[in-house]
Amino acid sequence: MGGADLALLLLILACLLLRAAGLLLAGHLRPDHPFVRWAASVALATLAAFIAAAVAAPSGALAGIPWGARLAGVVVAIGWMLWRGGMLAPLIAGLGAAAALHFLAT
Amino acid sequence: MMFRSACREALGAPALAMAATFLAFGAAVQAAGLGLGWGLAAALLVYGMPGQMVLVTAVTLPGGAASLAVGPAVLGAATANARFLPMAVALSPWLGGGARRWWGLPFIAVTPWAMAMRRLPGLPEASRLAWFLGFGLTSWLVAGAATLLGHAMAPLVEGPLLALLLFVNPLYFALILTGEMRAIASRRAVICGCCAAPLVLFLPAGWALLAAGLLGGTLAFLWGERHGRR
Repeated sequence: MGGADLALLLLILACLLLRAAGLLLAGHLRPDHPFVRWAASVALATLAAFIAAAVAAPSGALAGIPWGARLAGVVVAIGWMLWRGGMLAPLIAGLGAAAALHFLAT
Repeated sequence: MMFRSACREALGAPALAMAATFLAFGAAVQAAGLGLGWGLAAALLVYGMPGQMVLVTAVTLPGGAASLAVGPAVLGAATANARFLPMAVALSPWLGGGARRWWGLPFIAVTPWAMAMRRLPGLPEASRLAWFLGFGLTSWLVAGAATLLGHAMAPLVEGPLLALLLFVNPLYFALILTGEMRAIASRRAVICGCCAAPLVLFLPAGWALLAAGLLGGTLAFLWGERHGRR
């Protein structure tokens, strides 16, 4: 087994353990238990931090889209969602706005 | 009935977001010189994009897979996916107290979790697990199919197209969070998470997101407790 295969196997086990530990810990708690509310808060904050970082200061290929285009994409998608509702149309509108500005800038 | 309805629900915007991200992942796996089997195992069994990408990046570092430092690579990737723990804690009570909730284990990932936290509280208790399994299984299959396609189409998925595919994911999550922000507790968590995001710039990549989430989430929780959970 090569290094990449061994690393993947260990990562699969680690992720399995993380999920199982969460199910085990909270399996008998009510949704409004303080521990469950804290965990939900941490998970949401992590997601919010991920989005903020991906829009403001991404790494890798995502950094190839200019900052203004990324921001415009998010603003258009959220604006569309608040205006007309739904999820797919706002997603496509936001992506279209980001793509248009990206290609205009390059 | 609920299972099928959840499958259909997963085939809209969630499927587009999953497909775009995993298509880009499949292409990255191929570009790193790794096989389709490796890519599919990572996509379906790790099923957490930040950790998957950290591992692929580690493999592509100078020296490649042959000189991979397995310990640090796995630790970094597992830390990037450590949010699975609070997600599973938050989700578990909505899946019921019995042993059947374990069927949902492989599908605990950001997209099914975020949609489940919106949908499950409004569903009858008996239907919640079926909804999560239907949504989770569909998203999981979409992820596998997109990885396969991305691996096959790798030479075509590069430059601006790759960047736009990767952008679909944060865009989709931004929409999910916008929907979530009607609840004041969620609004606090999102605001505090965004305020803690600059930590990502200063901490090691593997730890940064978890640290920002822990700090922001704990502050939001304490803020809510201080205001009597209003």
